[in-house]
Amino acid sequence: MGIVQWLMKKISKAFGRNTSSLFYSLIYREILKEINEITKDEELSLLVMREVGKQAAMESCERHSAIFKFMPGSPDKVVDYFELLWVVVFGKELEELDYEEISEENSIYNSYLLKIKHCPICASYGTSPEDTFNISKLGNKTEGMACGLCGMLQGVANFILKVKKNNYRIKIVEQKCMGKGDNCLQLLCKIYDYNEWKKMTQLKLKDKTLSKVILESDIEEEVIQKNKVDLLDQLQESFSLDKLEELIDEPLENIKKRIADIIRDKLNMEPEHFFDYFRNYEEDMIRIIGFLLIHLLNENGRFIEKLLKNETIAKVAGYFFKQLKEMVLLFVPLDVVKDYHNLLIKFLEGLAPNEMVENIKNYSGRDDINFLFEGAQIALEDLGINFSTLKENIWEELNQERENGLLSPEQSIINKTQENFPKIIQLFQEIAMLINEFLTLPIRVSISEGHYGLKAAINSVISEEEGLVGSIKNRFDNIFNNIQALRE
Amino acid sequence: MNYSRNELLHADAAINQLRNAIYHLARFMAKNNIDDKKERMQRIGKNISKTYIKYWSPTELVDLNNIRDVIATIYKKVLKSSISVELNENEQLIIVNDTNCALCKYEYDDIQIAGCEILLGLISEFINIININSKNKTILLIEPLKIQESKTFGNKYCVQIFKYKIEGGM
Repeated sequence: MGIVQWLMKKISKAFGRNTSSLFYSLIYREILKEINEITKDEELSLLVMREVGKQAAMESCERHSAIFKFMPGSPDKVVDYFELLWVVVFGKELEELDYEEISEENSIYNSYLLKIKHCPICASYGTSPEDTFNISKLGNKTEGMACGLCGMLQGVANFILKVKKNNYRIKIVEQKCMGKGDNCLQLLCKIYDYNEWKKMTQLKLKDKTLSKVILESDIEEEVIQKNKVDLLDQLQESFSLDKLEELIDEPLENIKKRIADIIRDKLNMEPEHFFDYFRNYEEDMIRIIGFLLIHLLNENGRFIEKLLKNETIAKVAGYFFKQLKEMVLLFVPLDVVKDYHNLLIKFLEGLAPNEMVENIKNYSGRDDINFLFEGAQIALEDLGINFSTLKENIWEELNQERENGLLSPEQSIINKTQENFPKIIQLFQEIAMLINEFLTLPIRVSISEGHYGLKAAINSVISEEEGLVGSIKNRFDNIFNNIQALRE
Repeated sequence: MNYSRNELLHADAAINQLRNAIYHLARFMAKNNIDDKKERMQRIGKNISKTYIKYWSPTELVDLNNIRDVIATIYKKVLKSSISVELNENEQLIIVNDTNCALCKYEYDDIQIAGCEILLGLISEFINIININSKNKTILLIEPLKIQESKTFGNKYCVQIFKYKIEGGM
C-alpha cells in the first residue's frame, strides 16, 4: 500500500465518528429489517437498502467534497483505491482482499471482481432471535446482506467520478454473501458509460417502491456539478492521490513516464524522436532547461518581470546572479554535483537516444551547472537584466558611481570621506570575500551532510516495517490513535 | 472463517454514513405513510440491545446507586460517547446530555425525528434486560420518555430523557 493511501486511511479513521463495530453491524441489520417491515418483500428490501446506503454515502461525500476532489479520477483507479473506499465507508481495515480483473470487450474499462474473506455485516448472522431478516427467501441471483454496504461503496466511488467530471460510472454488486452460505463476500465492480448509466437510473425511478427512496435530483446533480469550477477543481487536475502515490513510490520512473506522456500528447511524437533533435546539441538542451526554469518561475503573476522593470533592482539582481554563478561550485561539493549529473543521465536513459546519453556522460556535473546558469542568464536578460552593462562585481559598480560625481575644490570632512569611499568599499569587498571563503567549508559540509545523510538513510532501509518508513508509520499510528482517543 | 460478533465487539467502525442512512430510512418511512416512526426507531435500539447484551454487559445489576455509571459506561463502550447523566429523583427521570451524539450531527429541515430515539430504546432495553435477568426482587426498570433536544432539530447537543420506576420489593 502506498504511503499517501495509508495516510488517507489513517486520517479517515481518526476523524470519523466511531462506535463499536458490533453496534454498526446491528444497526445495519435493524435498518434492513425496518425496510422489510414496510416492503414485506426481502428481495425488494435489498434494493431499497442499497439505495439508502447509496444516498447516505452521497450525503457524506457532498459534505466533504473537497477531500474527494483529490482522489483518482478514472474508474479503474477508483477501484484500485477500494481499500480506501472501504475505510471511508466502514471505518475498518479491509483484511484479505483478492482482486481479479475481467476483460470486457465492449468497454474501454474492464470489470473487477473483489473477494473479501471477512464480512462484518454477516458476522454471526442467524445466531440471535433478533436476526429476523429471512435470507433463505432470497433468490440465487439477488444480492445479499451487504447490499447497503455496496450502495455506500458505489455512492462514494461515483461521487469521486462525478466531481472529477468523468464520463463513466461504477456499479458495485454483491455476488456472493456469507450470510447466504458463500465462502466470501464477492463484489463485482462494473464500469458503465454515463449515458447508459443515466438510462439505468431512469428505469429505477419508474419502480413504484424504489422511487420512494431514489431522489430525482440524482440526475440533475450531474449537470450542476459540471458547471462548478473552483480553486480545488483546478488544483485537483494536477494533484490527485494516485499521481502523488506514484511520484512518492518511484519518483524518477514516474517523472520519466509523465514527461514521455506529455511529449506524446502535446507534441505527437515519441520521446526518443523528440530528444533526437538535441543530439549533438546536448549543451543547448541543458541551457534550455535553465532558460525554462526562470520563465516558469516568472509565469506565476510575472513577478520577476515586474520586479526587474526597476533599473536598480535589475542591477542588484544581476550582480547577485553573477555572484551566485561564480560561487555555486565553491559552496556545493563536487560529489553532490556529480550525483545530480548521474541523475540526469538516468533520467535520459530510455527516453533519449543512446548516443545522446553517451555525449552527456562526457560532461561533468560542473559543466551541467554552467550550462544551466547560461540558460538562466539568457532568460533573465529577456526579463530585463542587462548583463552587458554590469561591472565585474557590485563593489566596482558603487565605486564607479562615486567617480562620476564632481569633486568640490574645498576639502571638507565630507569631501574627505567621499575621497576615501572607494577605499572603504574595497575594504568591505575584501571582508565580504573573506567571510564567503570562511563560509564555504561549513556550507559544503552541511550540503554534503544533508545529501549523503538522506542518501544513506534511504539506502539503509532494510524493509518498510523495520526501516525509517516503518518507524514513521508507527509514529503516525500513535498520533492518530491519540487523536481518536481524544475525540472520544 | 468470517468474523464473529464477539470479534466485532473489540473493533471500531465509523458510523458517519450509517448515521445518514437512519435519516434516509426515516424519509422512506414518511413516504410510505408510517406514523409510528418514534416507536419503530426505539424498536431498533431495543433489538440492538437484545443481541448486544449476549456479548457484553456492563454489570449484573443496576440500581439507583450505580445507574449513572452504568449508563455512562454503555455510552462509552457501545457508542464511544462521553456523556453526563443527571438523576431527578422527584420526577423519577434520568437525563442524559450527549454533546457528541453518535446518531445525530446535522440539522434536517425535512425530518421530524431524531436519530437518538434509537438510543432511548437501546439504553432502556439494556438496563431492563440486566435487571430482569438479575435475581433481585426489587428491580429498577426504565423506559424511553422523550428526546428533549437534538442536533437534528438544530440544538447544540442531544438531551435524552428516560423515566424510571422501581418494581417488586416488599
